[in-house]
Amino acid sequence: MDDEKKFLTEDQVVELMSLFFSCSLLLLREPALYGPLRQLTAAERLAAMVIDDVSPEVRTLLEVALERIPVSHTVTTRRDQYKAIVVELNEALGDCLAARAGLTEGAVA
Amino acid sequence: MSNPVLENIRTRRVVREMTDEQVSEEHLEIILEAGRWSPTGSNHLPNRFLVVQDPELIELIRRVSPGIYSNAPTYLFVCVDRRNFPTYIDEQADDPVFLMDVGQAAQTMALAAHSLGLASGPVTSFNVPALRKILNLPERFTPWMVLCLGYPQPNPQFVMKPGKRRYWQDLVYRERFVPWREFEAD
Ligand SMILES: Cc1cc2nc3c(=O)[nH]c(=O)nc-3n(C[C@H](O)[C@H](O)[C@H](O)COP(=O)(O)O)c2cc1C
Repeated sequence: MDDEKKFLTEDQVVELMSLFFSCSLLLLREPALYGPLRQLTAAERLAAMVIDDVSPEVRTLLEVALERIPVSHTVTTRRDQYKAIVVELNEALGDCLAARAGLTEGAVA
Repeated sequence: MSNPVLENIRTRRVVREMTDEQVSEEHLEIILEAGRWSPTGSNHLPNRFLVVQDPELIELIRRVSPGIYSNAPTYLFVCVDRRNFPTYIDEQADDPVFLMDVGQAAQTMALAAHSLGLASGPVTSFNVPALRKILNLPERFTPWMVLCLGYPQPNPQFVMKPGKRRYWQDLVYRERFVPWREFEAD
């Protein structure tokens, strides 16, 4: 990402995405239309704004966001499907954070 | 009446402003040893403790934990490993008894920490799917609460009001539930 021209660094983008996604997960008990969905809409807008300027690891996360968040809008009344998408987004976030920190997956029984 | 145990229970408060000093290994081990003595349902001993002190991991965890407001240098996750249930079946996955085991252990360790002069604060607002990736946790192993640990800042900047408490008389029923007492308590 070209920090000279942008208002946010890539790290700040990841920080904001982390917050939007984590809050959407923690707000799952609230009606989707109020809490989580608005967080996800903000994340989707941010992803669309910066996707062309980020590194491959962050691009993968933003691609998942741009593909799955619009689908989440269509299933807000089907709780299981909605929750599954929010969990999927947060797993992608975890993958992105781990990859950027150079953490490799260890043996998981 | 008072004694050191009652005094410790009464004076423990959540502390969110800590110094940079890392929790000593000696203190950490005393706290973990205390956690091991907390009771668990059917004595299944499902609690597992995951201690994180690496500053890079702490930073990653903070990013996906909107409920962590403190600058604690140690995160002590109280986890449940479902493999420790000899009679484990899928339907038990959400059995609330797990959560009671977690709460018992967390409070036991918070009191142990307080008795040693450490600051602590329990947090449950964190992102489990992301933490699974960051901390390499298998599906059967779930962190339910994190106890943020450190040494208290001597001159905290953001002093919070002491947690509101009701008198015990307002919380207690004797022998049978009495509906009108609900109004009295509020
Ligand atoms: C189950 C549980 C979850 C909590 N989650 C959080 C949290 O996410 N963030 C936080 O700062 N404090 C959290 N707390 C701390 C409470 O806010 C705190 O214990 C309460 O306000 C009373 O303060 P005191 O313990 O200092 O009296 C949690 C406490 C419990 C028991």
